[in-house]
Amino acid sequence: MTEVALRNLTKRFGSIAAVDGASLSIGHGEFVSLLGPSGCGKTTTLKLIAGFEQADGGEILFDGQDVAGLPAERRDIGLVFQNYALFPHMTVAGNLAFGLEMRKRPKVEITRKVAEVLEMVQLQGLGGRYPRELSGGQQQRVALARALVIEPRILLLDEPLANLDARLRDEMRLFIRNLQRRVGITTIYVTHDQAEALTMSDRVVVMFGGRVAQVGEPEDIYDRPASRAVAEFVGRVNVIAAEVTAATAEGCRVSCPLGEFTLPRPGRPGERIELALRPEAVVLSAGGPAVIEEAAYSGGLIDYRVRLGETVIDVQGFPAPRFSVGDAVSFDVPWARLWPLG
Amino acid sequence: MRKAPLLLILPAALVLLAFLVVPYLNIVLMSLRVPGSGVPYAPGWTLGNYAKFFSDRFYLEQLANTLWIGVATTLACLLVGYPVAVQLARGTGAMRGLRYGIVLAPLLVGIVIRSYGWTILLGNNGVINRTLLGWGLIEGPLPLMYNGLGIIIALTHVLLPFMILPIMGAVQGIDPQLELAARSLGAGRNTAFRRVVLPMSLPGVQSGCTLVFILAISAYVTPALIGGLRVKTAAVSVVDALIDGFQWPFGSAMALILAVVGGLCVVGFQRATRIGWAVRR
Repeated sequence: MTEVALRNLTKRFGSIAAVDGASLSIGHGEFVSLLGPSGCGKTTTLKLIAGFEQADGGEILFDGQDVAGLPAERRDIGLVFQNYALFPHMTVAGNLAFGLEMRKRPKVEITRKVAEVLEMVQLQGLGGRYPRELSGGQQQRVALARALVIEPRILLLDEPLANLDARLRDEMRLFIRNLQRRVGITTIYVTHDQAEALTMSDRVVVMFGGRVAQVGEPEDIYDRPASRAVAEFVGRVNVIAAEVTAATAEGCRVSCPLGEFTLPRPGRPGERIELALRPEAVVLSAGGPAVIEEAAYSGGLIDYRVRLGETVIDVQGFPAPRFSVGDAVSFDVPWARLWPLG
Repeated sequence: MRKAPLLLILPAALVLLAFLVVPYLNIVLMSLRVPGSGVPYAPGWTLGNYAKFFSDRFYLEQLANTLWIGVATTLACLLVGYPVAVQLARGTGAMRGLRYGIVLAPLLVGIVIRSYGWTILLGNNGVINRTLLGWGLIEGPLPLMYNGLGIIIALTHVLLPFMILPIMGAVQGIDPQLELAARSLGAGRNTAFRRVVLPMSLPGVQSGCTLVFILAISAYVTPALIGGLRVKTAAVSVVDALIDGFQWPFGSAMALILAVVGGLCVVGFQRATRIGWAVRR
């Protein structure tokens, strides 16, 4: 088990800073996701940690030791690639044995460990197959096993589920998370899929433009986003313009198109702020001043667009009670769920 | 729907039939004719042309020598071409286009001119011997022409692109992430190359060797010019028999033997180097 720390990490390609002063610490056995849109620097960060790229500035520390001088092959990292990168000219067992052979382990030990890890990823009996003879999900598990069999200090995963179909992806999320808990390995998981990051991680690191935008537990990221960009990237959100009307003992009085309420946070009168409201925080009931403008059925949930005077908000509801376009509805504003965007 | 693909191969099939199968059948028939004097062949049929070939040490040694030249040329092309192919496949930048051009350059000049170029370099009075003599490194001219060595040198130059291009294609097809995967598992750059890139480039090596070997043993112009009258490869002898000797039946038999032996060599090579993992499902 290893602690990882990034200190002011910077990597430039030409004039563009792919990673721009990123800092982060990851604890023993923690599962941390790097979440962001493509080009946000998450993959470059991963490559820097793996040793495939050299940083232009800052430090990468494993258990407090700077690894800048260590080439990739000596960093002791298990890496899972998006396209799995299994060696097509080796059998599954050959792929799994590769890292152990590089470590010059005795043959008997290699055979035993390969069998163990095959069992761990539930692929017993498939050691003699070539990668192309396996399904996508099986290849994914071989890639995971190959990274883990060397008992690395850190496990890095680069969008490992991106090439799988939706059903298998859900299954593999749980599989990877359970395996990671069992092995107890420090894990860094790169993804652009917010659902993946939220369901799997102990903590999520949201990155934009090479910088860390927010670090927090999944609930922090989703319910208390640090900025409008984070709020909009992590799920759907209504952004409501508001104005501070008065400072009070508990915080400040805020006025917005949905009404007036007290925000438990200091503010000065006249300050314009934005409030985030998640669509599923609003509960609709029949009859009232608001009107359903759009309704989209998507199985378990329904997405409504609701107009209240000049304001339009997105609301997510269950199939019952069901409303149709044009229905009059009302809702209680969940004041506690209105989150001011910094 | 099934008929459309068949129609599509029809033109190629007709061309092959008219210009390959029919002439080959004609050669087979010709090789079984009785030699005549003053006429291409006499009436009747015989196996005597084949018997003449296999009972004469001269022809058998010449065939062996031709095969040896083919093998040596193939090995030389592989040694010289492999690093270039990997470089071209993995290299980047503006110079890559230039390097690619240099590799293809031998194909842009006619084979006769290229081979004459080698006679200028390799001859007793040629550039190489003159230079070495001038520097006092050798006492008399090195025998670089009119022998197997000269033919191998010239053929290596002529056939090098046929080795480089298939290997380059194979290496380009290797996902660069595989090398990164190998390195993350503890392999240094050299080990990653040896364990991943090298074995995965073997299908290209196999194609390149097959192409170069076939072209080398059947080459005519280069061995004829470099070997002169002293060293003759089987292909040169075939043309001699057909054109100079007017021995159509015997020349045809020699040509067929060369083709069959070459074909057997290729089949044997492909069998011996069968690459299990590359076989498609």
